[in-house]
Amino acid sequence: MIDVQNLTKRYGQATVVDSLTFTVRPGAVTGFLGPNGAGKSTTMRMMLGLTRPDTGTARIDGRAYVDLTYPLRHVGALLETSAPHRGLTARDHLRWLAQSNRIDPGRVGQVLETVGLSDAARRRIGTFSLGMGQRLGLAAALLGDPPVLVLDEPVNGLDTEGIRWLRDLLRSMADEGRTVLISSHLMTEMALVADHLVVIGRGRLLADTGMSEFLARHGRSSVRVRTPEPERLARELASSGATVTRIPGGGLDVVGMPAADVSRIAAKGGFPLDELSTHAGSLEDTFLGVIDQAGAAHGTGVDDGTTGTTGSTGSTGTTGEEGRNSRV
Amino acid sequence: MSETLAAVRAETTKLRGIRGTQVSLLLFAAVSILIAALGGWSAKNALESDNPSLRSDFTPEQAGLDGILYGQLALIVFGVLVVTSEYTSGMMRVSLLAVPRRGRLYAAKMGVTALAALTASVPVTVLGYLVTQAALGSHGSSLGASGVPRALAGSVVYLTLMCLFAAGVAAIARSAVVPLAVLLPMVLAGTHILSLIGATKEMARYFPDQAGNELLTVDSPHTAFGFTVLLAWTVAAVGWGWVRQRRWDS
Repeated sequence: MIDVQNLTKRYGQATVVDSLTFTVRPGAVTGFLGPNGAGKSTTMRMMLGLTRPDTGTARIDGRAYVDLTYPLRHVGALLETSAPHRGLTARDHLRWLAQSNRIDPGRVGQVLETVGLSDAARRRIGTFSLGMGQRLGLAAALLGDPPVLVLDEPVNGLDTEGIRWLRDLLRSMADEGRTVLISSHLMTEMALVADHLVVIGRGRLLADTGMSEFLARHGRSSVRVRTPEPERLARELASSGATVTRIPGGGLDVVGMPAADVSRIAAKGGFPLDELSTHAGSLEDTFLGVIDQAGAAHGTGVDDGTTGTTGSTGSTGTTGEEGRNSRV
Repeated sequence: MSETLAAVRAETTKLRGIRGTQVSLLLFAAVSILIAALGGWSAKNALESDNPSLRSDFTPEQAGLDGILYGQLALIVFGVLVVTSEYTSGMMRVSLLAVPRRGRLYAAKMGVTALAALTASVPVTVLGYLVTQAALGSHGSSLGASGVPRALAGSVVYLTLMCLFAAGVAAIARSAVVPLAVLLPMVLAGTHILSLIGATKEMARYFPDQAGNELLTVDSPHTAFGFTVLLAWTVAAVGWGWVRQRRWDS
């Protein structure tokens, strides 16, 4: 369980994270979404005690990260900006990590096996490909068999097989009752793996809700029809108030009209239908819609009816490039 | 306490695993002993041919510590690299995830650095001295000669403190370039030149390496002064480095 309360971080004039409050519950994969510069990485660094918040707290199972005894046994973390020394071998890197938290040295071999790096254990990290480096980072996160995982862009650099492996791993971790928080800019990937979503924009909470509720509430579902005479049917539907777009292959995408009405209009006009199906909005479209809406409402207060408070009105200049403050 | 010990063990593994730090420690031993041998050998030739190029204050005991003056350069590089290896990649973030208490991480790092310098300095100092004496042949002195045990112990203290001083400076700078560009020329020639100029002679005594040299001098009357000045520099550098580490915000 990760509990973020009223977290705020400013860098000079820019408020990168703005009064953020949400919890990440065990037993589910929670996706952390937001456009570049929304403050995801900064929030994750504050959870892990690397960046000091200006106000607010981030607690993991009731304690701040820096107060955890042997933290790697509680939290497995992967950050985009954390990279092991290139001169170490993969094995030595995991060995010192294990020693620092009194983790059984036997775990080193196990996690290398888990991420498929056993053959590269004695290679220096500087010779690793992007994907291998990412696997090593995941091995380090899994080392202490932690009940909480915080992973920033974990699929970066992984190949298709690696992505599928990670998806299965995260699923099984959540099913075992662990808390899993992942950020990703890949919406299709997020749609496949996340049960719950925390969406932020300009450092503020936009949504904290289940994946299906998020799509149902904010997504635009559509009806797809396929007929030999698409132009005429499109005219008929449009005259009845639907928004119709042609899709490749002779189909029509109908928004703003239930499938039953589409079917009735088609029957009345004598159109033979090759296909009639309803589609929930994609996570990508829904996410972009929510971000757009928040951007439009920015400064006048955002109320999208979700559980989170979205901050007070009138604070401007909250943009900040993600990672710009990760200078050493 | 056991968390701190775990951090110390981890730092030891890091130090052993990173090639740059290992190489600099090996260079420290190799350079010190090589110079000790060459110095002894050339002094022996000079003595036997009555060559006037030999320093007027030459003693075989003091010559036995000359190798250290060159070998220390590698030990300074070692002290700098141990600290800056955390900053070259994103290693510091990984380290802080494992050991989030900054004081504990810093203390473990500095402690392991000092311990490594100390462990390497003892055999290198003694061996260097013995190699010089052996090279001097019949002109050589012994380990037990007057003032020698004290100077050898002083050499170990000097080397350990200089290494820690370098590590502290690196923690202040958070990069290897500036500390190396300042420390190496300083130790090689800078303060020696200052000590030769009348106007700066008094000032030069207070530089860490010049002050520390009193520890290396057989029968020096200023050992306590030299130790105090070098210790003050080391405490200041390590302390300022700690302030920088505590404020480090990733």
